[in-house]
Amino acid sequence: MLHFILKRLLYAIPLLIGVSIIGFGLMHLAPGGPLGVYTLNPTVSVQDIERIKVIYGLDQPIYVQYVSWAGNLLTGDWGHTFFGGRPVFTVILERVPATLLLAGLSLSLAILIGTAIGMLGAVKRYSIFDYLATTGAMFALSFPTFWFGLMAIFIFAVELRWLPSGGMYDLGEEGNSLDLLRHLILPTAVLSLVIVATWSRYSRSSFLEVIGQDYIRTAHAKGVPNRLVITRHAFPNAAIPLIALLGVQLPFLFSGALVTETIFGWPGIGRLFVDALTMKEYPVLMGMMMFTAIFVIIGNLLADIGVAMVDPRIRLE
Amino acid sequence: MAPSKDKGFFTRRDFVKATGAAAGAVAAANILPSKADAAGKDRIITAHSQEPVQYNPLLYVNRGTENGPEAAMFDALWDMNEKGQFVANLATEVPSRENGRVSEDGRVWKIGLKRDVRWHDGQPFTAKDVAFTYETIMDSKTAVRSRSGFDLIKNFKTVDDYNVEIELAEPYTPFLWSWQEMHIVPRHILKDEPDINTSAFNSEPTGTGPFRYKSRTAGSHIVFERFDDYHRGAAKVKTLIQKTVPDTMVLYGQVKTGEVDYMMTSLPYDRWDEAAALPDRTFFDLPLPWVQFIYFNCGKPQFSDPKVRKALYMALEMQKSLDDIYLGRWKRTFSYLHTSHWAYNPSLKEETPNPQLAAKMLEEAGWKVGADGIREKDGHKMKFTMSTTAGNTARQGCQALFQQNWKAIGVEMEIKNMPGSVVWGEYTTKSQFDTLLVAWAPIVGMDPDYTARCHSKFIPAKYGQGSNYVQYENTEVDRLLEKGAVQVDRQGRKETYMEVQKILLDEVPFAPQGGVFGGFVRNKNLMGLKPNQYVTDSTWNIQDWYWG
Amino acid sequence: MGVIDAEIRAEATEPSALTARHESHARRVLRRFLRHRLAVFGGIMVVLLLSSALFAELLSPHDPLRIETSNRFFDPGQNLDYPLGTDELGRDTLSRLLHGGQVSLIVGIAAMLATVVTGSVIGIVSGYFGGWIDNILMRFVDTMLCFPQVFLLLVIAAFVTPTLLSISLIIGFTSWMEVARIVRSEILTLKEQDFIKAAIGFGSSHTRIMVRELLPNAMAPILVAATLKVATAVLMESYISYLGYGIQPPLASWGNMLTNAQGYFDTVPFLAILPGVMITFTVMSFNFLGDGLRDALDPRLKMEQ
Repeated sequence: MLHFILKRLLYAIPLLIGVSIIGFGLMHLAPGGPLGVYTLNPTVSVQDIERIKVIYGLDQPIYVQYVSWAGNLLTGDWGHTFFGGRPVFTVILERVPATLLLAGLSLSLAILIGTAIGMLGAVKRYSIFDYLATTGAMFALSFPTFWFGLMAIFIFAVELRWLPSGGMYDLGEEGNSLDLLRHLILPTAVLSLVIVATWSRYSRSSFLEVIGQDYIRTAHAKGVPNRLVITRHAFPNAAIPLIALLGVQLPFLFSGALVTETIFGWPGIGRLFVDALTMKEYPVLMGMMMFTAIFVIIGNLLADIGVAMVDPRIRLE
Repeated sequence: MAPSKDKGFFTRRDFVKATGAAAGAVAAANILPSKADAAGKDRIITAHSQEPVQYNPLLYVNRGTENGPEAAMFDALWDMNEKGQFVANLATEVPSRENGRVSEDGRVWKIGLKRDVRWHDGQPFTAKDVAFTYETIMDSKTAVRSRSGFDLIKNFKTVDDYNVEIELAEPYTPFLWSWQEMHIVPRHILKDEPDINTSAFNSEPTGTGPFRYKSRTAGSHIVFERFDDYHRGAAKVKTLIQKTVPDTMVLYGQVKTGEVDYMMTSLPYDRWDEAAALPDRTFFDLPLPWVQFIYFNCGKPQFSDPKVRKALYMALEMQKSLDDIYLGRWKRTFSYLHTSHWAYNPSLKEETPNPQLAAKMLEEAGWKVGADGIREKDGHKMKFTMSTTAGNTARQGCQALFQQNWKAIGVEMEIKNMPGSVVWGEYTTKSQFDTLLVAWAPIVGMDPDYTARCHSKFIPAKYGQGSNYVQYENTEVDRLLEKGAVQVDRQGRKETYMEVQKILLDEVPFAPQGGVFGGFVRNKNLMGLKPNQYVTDSTWNIQDWYWG
Repeated sequence: MGVIDAEIRAEATEPSALTARHESHARRVLRRFLRHRLAVFGGIMVVLLLSSALFAELLSPHDPLRIETSNRFFDPGQNLDYPLGTDELGRDTLSRLLHGGQVSLIVGIAAMLATVVTGSVIGIVSGYFGGWIDNILMRFVDTMLCFPQVFLLLVIAAFVTPTLLSISLIIGFTSWMEVARIVRSEILTLKEQDFIKAAIGFGSSHTRIMVRELLPNAMAPILVAATLKVATAVLMESYISYLGYGIQPPLASWGNMLTNAQGYFDTVPFLAILPGVMITFTVMSFNFLGDGLRDALDPRLKMEQ
């Protein structure tokens, strides 16, 4: 096991290097650049733009820019934002708690609810509940998140005035956990919606598969109580594809939810990403990609270990 | 909760009930939402849809949103008031020939400075700060937002602590605007800064303005505190907060609930009537500096002939596009200026829509309808693309209407929208487009000078400078623009620019559609706002805002 | 065991016998499928949706692009000339839904296929072979997951001329990773089961084991993924178009109708609800169809009979 983990972490090094090179290249290939705001200003001359390019090092060939970025990163310098010149590491870090909270809460809630719905749907297949759950999931997947978000705000914040329409705290209430809870309800509900829909579908199908298997039928035949069959025997096996799914969704804890955060004014990473992409803040985008990569590696590593633990026949190679 | 949640999607009413029940429990524990209203009259909460992150007034700032911190914390030598006049701020008076501060040939400017001004840290403000600001603007290591006007300075002399004398290489009337757009920064803080572009000053600055920086919560809001020693008298409220609410509709919702006192972002056009009827809120609309145009690329064979451009322009239902898509909120203009601008030429006449005449003019110009119903001449089809920022639904509506108008006279336009960073990149600056749908502001502040946008020496695709993206060339227009830039008396300048506007409407290198208007909402009791169409920062006189 | 025996015997028999066996197999699948009422319903719905898109030209009461601003914001049923109402430019919603279906169904189905096929192939190959093949493929998955999908879409789309096919492929190319990971995990457990070990023992070819043994047994999550991806792809199309790399205005798709309705979500709610409901219908139909297919194809159920 330890050997496996060490090996995987060793693989992570070339992966990180690869991701950073591809990411850096793609970013510069993408049309438009950070100097767009200057280019379009009729009072900024071509000479000014050349000068600003030199200031940001954008006049250098891409590989030189990459080497200098990577070299700085190794010394712990993540670079500075183009606009405002703030240290990128700080800019990213100050957004992490908000996203971890919202995404973490939504993901855990959604997994619990989604798995429960899926399991019930599988056990009571083709019941009214199953149909309603299916319809609900399809409905949730067919409307864009912004629509659910706007409807929720319109109903609960503007019309009923029960809940705040956005942000993390009311002004002056920073640190008040009851206030935080109020602010969390709507975005968590909206963000969980799609995840619940996805999870309930995968888990339903997974449980259906397992329920049909010989050993489950054997257990039933032996007179093991139904609930015990599901929880003891069916659950671990049904969980295998779900663990893989969880591994894929884990980076979401870091990257956040672009639309939900935007609609609800949630001060998280997702919005930082949108703003950075709009302004072509290369250093911020690169920093975020590196963080995401670490989460991806950890997520999939945990998923592989998880699958092996649930099914002892699978060996970790 | 899970099952009821799923049922909820079946009917909306269930959804409301189900989630509402859960929410209700929490709601009961705390809140009445009017808390923001009740928070006393000692703070003002403004909000914008974008987050201000850069507060150094010499570097690039995102117009609208980052003008907020700028206006709160900094001062310029003079401001532009709501009547279009310069009024002294850090300077003792606005230089002019009349008060003897501008020499007869317009090249020497003498600026006197107020003596009682202090920086937020208590240090006195002096001529050294003005000189330092100028030097920083011209320093090649500063990513300055613009050097317009400052690059004409031949000699900058600090006479004493409260007087400076500037000599220009050539007379330049919009020079007042150059200083109005640049706020003064403190020398004593920045002089030892190795790199101003990454200085901590940019996010926690020290200025001379009515409010000082207190704190910032990333992604949420900035708090400013009243600066008691402000040289124009302390502000009326103790705290100023600028919030970021990314979604405009949600922001509007927060204005309704009282979580926000003043909405800095313009309200969607279809909400103006509703907003005007809100109790306890005041709605007002205001011309914004932009005018929306169709840009014709005169370098393309379809658009090289001014008569053809005119015909294409005349086929369009311009007024209808404003009435139906911008719901009549924008005002029709026939020039690059709003009709309310002092230099606007009132004799310009509406010529659209006239599809019959347009078709006839195209016939005369040699563009005959081909076998496929599309006009052609010398092997060129009257077929082109129109581009703008993708996702702008109102502009898409205009494009669809124009497409329909042109189709009726045998002209095929294809919509080719792209992300902002692409369409306004080299596609525009290197004149690669056929036509654009775009809104531009005048060049230097609200001065009528339009040299960079239509002087033939300012075609970037040819000379590597300027913003004449339509590649328009007209020697008479060149001559008039050169004349206007050095003319001093307003009446004389007005006549010059009226002539420019007339020629531009005759030859239509860019077809004006309408002057952009914005609609803003504030708490009814929030007083002292002076809507100002000559500046982009609606909080320009924030020191005078108060609760009534 | 029965399955494998049957396969091996089939290989040894004459061609004619082989065909006969396949026919009967196909008939059995069809019979089981038809017995599944919801699956049939789903199938009929899919056919209806596809033909409404195919014959949109004939079915539409109006030109979907025709702007008539004096007729804007009709509610459904308010004016019988416009049965489902009109949008902000007075365009007929019914005609736009029908024409929008052309774009959305093609993109939804094509992107779903691209996603599911890529994900399944990589997942099966990776899980079955293991070792360095697995390692390389899964590190590739990791790499792809590191880039935010929005970012990938932006970059790729900027270099590809937008057509329905290219949009679908781009969506497929940026969203298969989840399917690959799930399928791989299925394969890892399947591989350890007796019937696969037996098949390997009998010396069946790799391709044969992967296609004939592993794929059918891993079908359940693949079908779920397929259903989910139809919905995501339809919405994703509108996002790509919103960025300017997809369908250009004034052409309609369900996704861009939803996006355009954003500003009217409370004042004219039908503008968003109608295309949303069309997408729901589509996904539901595919879901029921998928359920039916899975039951019909399920190898274990086959053994029971």
